[in-house]
Amino acid sequence: MELASVVQIWLAALFTIWIYSIAFRDNPFFKFAEHTFVGAAAGHSLVYGVDNILRYGWAPLTAGNMLYAVVFVLGILMYMRFHKTYFWVSRVPISVIVGIGIGLTLRSTVTSEFIAQIVSTAQMKVLGLGAWEGFSNLLFIIITLTTVYFFIFTFPKAQGGRLSLISTIARYGMMAAFGYSFANTVLSRFNMIFGRIDFLMNTWLVLPYAMLALPVVLILVIYAMIPTEKRPWPKPKN
Amino acid sequence: MTAKPKTIWDRLEDIPREILYGLLLVCIIVPMLFPIGFPVPISVEVKRWYDTIEALPAGSVVMVDFGYSGGGEPELAPFAVATYAQLFRKADIKVVTMSTSNEGPLLWEKAMTELNIARFGKEYGKDYIHIGYIAGVETAMAAVGKSISATTTTDYKGTPLSKYSIMQGVDSAEDFALLIVYTTGGDQSEGWVRQWYTSYKTPYLSCVLAMMVPTMLPYQKAGQIVSVVSGAQAGQIEILVKAPGRGVKSADVITVTHLLCIALVVVGNIAYFGKKFSGGKS
Amino acid sequence: MSIIMKKSVPIALVFITAVIFLLEYFVLPTELKSTVTMLQNWGIILTAFTLGFGAVNMIMFHGKQVSRRAKGQWPYSLWLLIILVLFTLVGVIMGATSTQYSWLYSSSYFALSATVYSSLGFYMTSGIYRALRAKNAESALLLIVGVIVLARNAPALAAQFPILVNMDSWLSSVPTTSAQRGIMIGAALGAIALGLRTMIGRETGFLGQTTEGEKGG
Repeated sequence: MELASVVQIWLAALFTIWIYSIAFRDNPFFKFAEHTFVGAAAGHSLVYGVDNILRYGWAPLTAGNMLYAVVFVLGILMYMRFHKTYFWVSRVPISVIVGIGIGLTLRSTVTSEFIAQIVSTAQMKVLGLGAWEGFSNLLFIIITLTTVYFFIFTFPKAQGGRLSLISTIARYGMMAAFGYSFANTVLSRFNMIFGRIDFLMNTWLVLPYAMLALPVVLILVIYAMIPTEKRPWPKPKN
Repeated sequence: MTAKPKTIWDRLEDIPREILYGLLLVCIIVPMLFPIGFPVPISVEVKRWYDTIEALPAGSVVMVDFGYSGGGEPELAPFAVATYAQLFRKADIKVVTMSTSNEGPLLWEKAMTELNIARFGKEYGKDYIHIGYIAGVETAMAAVGKSISATTTTDYKGTPLSKYSIMQGVDSAEDFALLIVYTTGGDQSEGWVRQWYTSYKTPYLSCVLAMMVPTMLPYQKAGQIVSVVSGAQAGQIEILVKAPGRGVKSADVITVTHLLCIALVVVGNIAYFGKKFSGGKS
Repeated sequence: MSIIMKKSVPIALVFITAVIFLLEYFVLPTELKSTVTMLQNWGIILTAFTLGFGAVNMIMFHGKQVSRRAKGQWPYSLWLLIILVLFTLVGVIMGATSTQYSWLYSSSYFALSATVYSSLGFYMTSGIYRALRAKNAESALLLIVGVIVLARNAPALAAQFPILVNMDSWLSSVPTTSAQRGIMIGAALGAIALGLRTMIGRETGFLGQTTEGEKGG
C-alpha cells in the first residue's frame, strides 16, 4: 500500500478514536480533533465556494457575458455584513437570494405540500373495503385533520372544553409518529457507529503496528481524561 | 444526616453511562469478530426501488443527486454503491450525477472506488458523468431541471461537457427517465419533490437517513415519490443486486445492538416502576 | 432617504424577484424564461459567496482568541486557523477535486464528520435507558411504538417474527404518515404565510441587524 494511503488511514483512525473519547470524558485529544473538524469544515466550504464562483460565475464572465460582473459585485458586497457601519449594504444581495428562494418555494409548495397532500387524504376510501382497511383509512384521516387543527388553531378557546378531544387525538397520533422516528434515529446512529468501527477494525487495525498502537492510543486518551490537577505529569503551571 | 442506602431499584435506575457505552461497544465489536449471519428480510420499499430500476428501458438516462455529507457516508454509501452496480449492469443506461452537497463530488469518487467501476466496462463521459457540486439547493435543482447547459458547461473536474457524448440530447429534467437522490438533508430530499416532480413529474427514488424516513412518507403516500428507503436498508438491496457489501455486514451488529436497546428500555422501566411501587421517588 | 435605501430597497428587491419567479411559473413561462434562468444562475453564484461566511466568522473569533492568548484555548484556536488556511490553500491552488485535496479531506474532515455524526449514538443509548419511561399514556404509546419498530429494525427479529413487519408497516403507513402529513400541511401554510409576509415587508428577519430607526417599521 502507498505511504500516502497508510498515513491517511492512520490519521483517520486517530481522529475517530479521539472524537469517540468525548462520550466518556472531555480531554485535550478530543478538543484537538474537534477544532480540526471545525477548521476543516470552514475551509472546505470556502474551497467549494471558490470553485462554484469560478465555474458558474467567472467562466461566463470571461466568455463575454458582462452582466455577470453585477453578480460579482453583489457577492463581494455580501461581506459588508461584517462591517459595523455599512452592514446594511449586504442586504441587497441577500434580498436577491431571499427573493429567489421565496419565489421557488411558493410556486411549488402550494402544489406539493398542500394540494397534493389534501387530495391524497381526500381520495382515501373508508367504505366498501375490509373492516381493518376501512378503519385504518378512517384513523388516517382523523389523525391528519386533528394534527392540522392542532397546529393552526393554537388559541386557548380552540383547545379548551370539548374541543380538547381534537388536540388529544392529535397528540396521540404524533406520539406514535415520534416513537417511530425515535426508533429509526437509533437505527441510523448505530449504523453510523458500525461504519466507523468497521473502518477501525478492517482498514486500520490490519495495517502493520496498528494493533500495537491501539492500546497505547487508548492509554494516552484515558490518561488525558484525568483532570489536570490530578495528573502526575505534566504539572499545571501555577 | 446519613444518606439513604441505595435500593436495588436505585442501582438499576442509575447504571453509569460508562457501562452503557461499554456494553454498546461490546455489542458492536463481538458480532463483527464472530459473525452470526442473521438473515436480512427484504422490505416492500426496497423491492419497489429495485423493480423501478430494473424496469428502466434501454436508452434511459438517470439523474443521481449524490447529496450526502461525510456524516451520512457510513449509512448511505453502501446503498448508493449497490444501486450504481444495478444501474451499470443494465445495458445502455446512462447515469448523470450531480451534488447538492459540497462533499458530494469527493464522496462520489470514494463510492466509485468502492464499486470498482472498471469491472462493468463503463466509460466516463460516455456511460456516466459527474457534473459537479452546484450551490443553492433548490435554486440548483430548478436551474438544472430547466437547462443543464445554461447552468454549467463543465464536469466536476472542469472539463467542458461538450467533450462528452453522454450529454448529447440531455439538457433538462424532461430528458431523464428517473431521479435518484441520496441525501442527509431534508431541504434536498423535499426540494426535489418541489422542483422536479411537481414541475416535470420525473419519477423519484429517495434514499435518506433512517431518521428522515418518517418526514418523507407523506410524499410517498401521495405518489410524489416512488419509494423512500433508508441507507440502513443497504443489506437488502445488496442481496437483490447480488453484491454483498457493508450493508449485509451490518445486519448482525444492528440486530445485537437493537436487542441491547430493547433490554435497556425494559430494565429502565422495571427500575422506574419498581421504585414507584416500593414508595421511592424517581 | 436613509431608511428607504437601507430597508425599503431590499424589501422591494425581495418582492420583485419573487414575483418574477411566480409569474414565470404560472403566467408567462416563455417571456420570462431567460430572466429566470439568469436569476437562478445568479442565485447559485451568490449562494457560493455565502459559503465563505463560516470561514470569516472563524477567523474573526479564533483570531481574537489567539491575539488575546485566551487561557486554555488559544493553542486550539491557532490550530483551527492553520487547518482552515491549509484546506483553503490546497483546495484553491491544487483544485477542489485534486488528489492532494482529496487526501486531505479523507484523512481529516471526512473521518471527523462521520465520527461526530455517529457519536450521538452513544448519547442515544443513555437516553433510551434513562428517558424512555411509561410515565403516562402518551409516553407509554411512544415507548410501545418505539420498541415495536426497534424490534422490526433488527433484521434477525424481523425474519423470525414476521408479525413485526406487518405491525411496523401499519405504524408507518397510518399514524406516522398521517401525523407527518398534518405537520407538513401546517408547516406548508406557515411557509406560505412567511413567504408572503416577507415579500410585503411584514417580516424583516432577513435584514439581519437593524438600527433603532429601522425598528420603527
